[in-house]
Amino acid sequence: MLDYILKRVFQLVPALLLVSVVSFSIIYFAPGDPAEVLCTGPDGNVHPKSVEEFRIKMGLDKPLHIQYLIWLNNVLHGDFGYSYRSEKPVFDHIKRAFKATFKLSVVSLIVSLVISIPLGIVSAIKQNSTMDVSCMVGASLGVSMPNFWLGLLLMLLFGVYLNWLPVAGYGTGGDLEHIILPAITLGTGSAAVTARLMRSSMLEALGQDYIQTARAKGVSERVVIGKHALKNALIPVVTMVGLNFGYLLDGSVVVETIFGWPGLGRLIVDSINMRDYMMIQGCMVFVAILFVAVNLIVDISYRYIDPRICYETA
Amino acid sequence: MKREIRFGMIGIIVSAMLLTSVTPVSAVLYGDANEDTRINMQDVTKVERMILELDPETESADANRDGEIDMRDVTYIELMILERAPFPGGSLDAVMIFGPKSTLDPANGWHGWYVRKAGIYETLFKYNDEMELTPELATGYTQLSDTVWDIHLREGVRFHDGNPLDADAVVYSIGRITDESNSRSSEYDHIASVVAKDDYTVTITTTEPYAPTIASLTDPLVSIVSPDASDLDNDPVGTGPFMYDDHELEASLSVVRNPDYWGGGVKLEGVTLTYISDGATRAAMLQSGDADIARGLPYPEVSTIEADPYLDVVSKETLRLYFMFVNTEKAPLNDIRVRQAINYAIDREEVVDTALEGVGGVPAKGVFPSIFPWANDELAGYTHNQTKALELLEEAGITDSDGDDVLELSDGEDFTLTIMTYTTRAAMQPSVEVIETELEDIGIDVTLELLGSSAVKEAMTSGDYDMAFYSYGVAPSGDPDYYMTAHFDSTAGYKENGWTRYSNDTVDSLLASARMEMDTEDRKDYYDQAQEIIVEESPEMFIFHEKETVGHHIDVIGYEIYPNEITFLTKDMYIGR
Repeated sequence: MLDYILKRVFQLVPALLLVSVVSFSIIYFAPGDPAEVLCTGPDGNVHPKSVEEFRIKMGLDKPLHIQYLIWLNNVLHGDFGYSYRSEKPVFDHIKRAFKATFKLSVVSLIVSLVISIPLGIVSAIKQNSTMDVSCMVGASLGVSMPNFWLGLLLMLLFGVYLNWLPVAGYGTGGDLEHIILPAITLGTGSAAVTARLMRSSMLEALGQDYIQTARAKGVSERVVIGKHALKNALIPVVTMVGLNFGYLLDGSVVVETIFGWPGLGRLIVDSINMRDYMMIQGCMVFVAILFVAVNLIVDISYRYIDPRICYETA
Repeated sequence: MKREIRFGMIGIIVSAMLLTSVTPVSAVLYGDANEDTRINMQDVTKVERMILELDPETESADANRDGEIDMRDVTYIELMILERAPFPGGSLDAVMIFGPKSTLDPANGWHGWYVRKAGIYETLFKYNDEMELTPELATGYTQLSDTVWDIHLREGVRFHDGNPLDADAVVYSIGRITDESNSRSSEYDHIASVVAKDDYTVTITTTEPYAPTIASLTDPLVSIVSPDASDLDNDPVGTGPFMYDDHELEASLSVVRNPDYWGGGVKLEGVTLTYISDGATRAAMLQSGDADIARGLPYPEVSTIEADPYLDVVSKETLRLYFMFVNTEKAPLNDIRVRQAINYAIDREEVVDTALEGVGGVPAKGVFPSIFPWANDELAGYTHNQTKALELLEEAGITDSDGDDVLELSDGEDFTLTIMTYTTRAAMQPSVEVIETELEDIGIDVTLELLGSSAVKEAMTSGDYDMAFYSYGVAPSGDPDYYMTAHFDSTAGYKENGWTRYSNDTVDSLLASARMEMDTEDRKDYYDQAQEIIVEESPEMFIFHEKETVGHHIDVIGYEIYPNEITFLTKDMYIGR
């Protein structure tokens, strides 16, 4: 097991290198001079001299490959550099934003699972019933409804008309009251996908011979579904949920923006708009590590769900 | 049976929803016995009448909040009037557009704007709500020579940490800006030295005669900070009406009343500022009561909010200008008549009435809005006149020679025009779309390009553009030099001038004279003349001055919009009615 994990971690290195090279060159070729953008205040005018000073101070006057190598060298020494804009360590920004996004992601994931797994199972067991059809229509709606639209509707209903929950904001460190609406907004989208997958993979499992055998043995329907079918049906669902969680952790720009949640998605988009190269690079590498790590955890978890899967020989 | 139960449940849920959607309850301003939103001697009389049972008792007459209305309330109201007892101003929830991203240090980039809006920091001079330069932490200045200024400080001002405001604190604060490591230090290149002459006088020497010297001290960048503060990034210590309490970067900032404010009693007890970049969300927060006041209402929401009896919308012209950069070197725009024709073809009234729903702006005649003392009131600007536009184009050899409703240049090619813009400000796209149809009305084939603002800048720098629709604040420090020099002085080397490629020797020398002229009237005369030439020659086309629209609950009393977008919370705001 440990060998397998080490191997996977080792495989990460070329992937991360590639991510950093690609993101470095993409932002470089995007139009816009970071020195100028960053020196521009809310009002417009830029003092030409401050732009020049800034360029030299931040090393933006050096050729691209040198800039990249300097950055890479610093990262290898554990230094993600300083944000061009705030002149504060990139890592501090990421840490703060990730904390907000992580909270939101976990709650969204819970929302998504609580909705999707039972719905998926029930739909599969009562295939083609009214219940099944309405769940799947609901799921299609959930998939097609844009996040921001759902978010605004929830905001109007629970915030403005009913006054049950705060419309938006982060509260004190992202408290439960403020997290509910954005989490439902994010959670329902992925719940819809997961519910559909849960249903189809449950149907497949229920059609297997061993289910028939179990039923023939006289095993109660509860055990047939809960133990025999569900465990087998969960494998693809876990993969999907893992991927979804990976996406959630990258932060959703739209949901974070409309709810004023100071998370990672907003940080990345803001940094791109401001051409804050150091911050973009830091975020990209961070997100890549996150994504790979989540996938690794998902792969490892298969073993516990299905002991037939074995990595040592793989 | 089962079904009935289900419907019963739905009924209960629906009625519970209806019951909980209560209408907002007005706050009580304790002490405001006659409920005119003010606490003054009339309230004393009113309470006395209540005690004598001449008038019915009201909750608001219970100034000391002990549940009874008696002579103690009279005394308490008198103490409030004398500012001996704290004003029951309540706490305010405000929702703002932009907030601090990484620090609360006013000397870092533009973060000073946010901490100033929160009422924590103050500057030596400021602009009041009429855009007049007024002393704040200073009491005035004496100009000793063209380059030497003595600034007299207000005595008896204390920082939130108890330290007195003196010349050393001012020297220290300005030193943080002029220090080379500060990314905005070049804007203060004109300052040669800042020294403490005595405890309450600071002498500033400039490298050359520089008329905007005092105005440059109004930028929140030059907020006066306590020299003893150890962590200005996270724990700001200023002199303002409000003291720092807590913050969550990019999310919120809360402040509490400064009980020892030099300017007198601060009415609000505390304020929480929440930063939400989405306009629809801000409007929803105002409607739900999560916010008492919301800045930057989206124009389509204004009528809904105005219709709510508990909410009010206030708006005022600001110093933010929406305008076109014009490439004056590219044919046919290099012909002054073509630029003027386009100016005549644009119906600014229509832009304001449709794109801004009549509430978001005021048609522009020149660079400065009429609320700004430096505006040239004589300017006629361009009024919508299609005939005149077509005449001018014809003079320039541009006519519809083949009768296809599209104008042709003298070489027979169609007159095409590309207008670039960006969409980060909500008003940009709708406005430029109206302009597009107006220009198409007279037969110009217009293409819109919506890009990121950096891509627009890149195109302007390379010269590969016709016109670009843009928005700038024209005088954040309250001085006209800021915009005029950067945009129209071809000797100053600013990007903005490089984009229009405009050069006029008369304008250059007028602007140079204006910068050195210390007499306000003579100085204004120079700017007036320069503006006249600029409007005539149209290297930039001025479309409208933005109006700030702020929505607030009717409970919020004493709020004023400051046109320079720098001041927001003041000691005079409070909640009560």
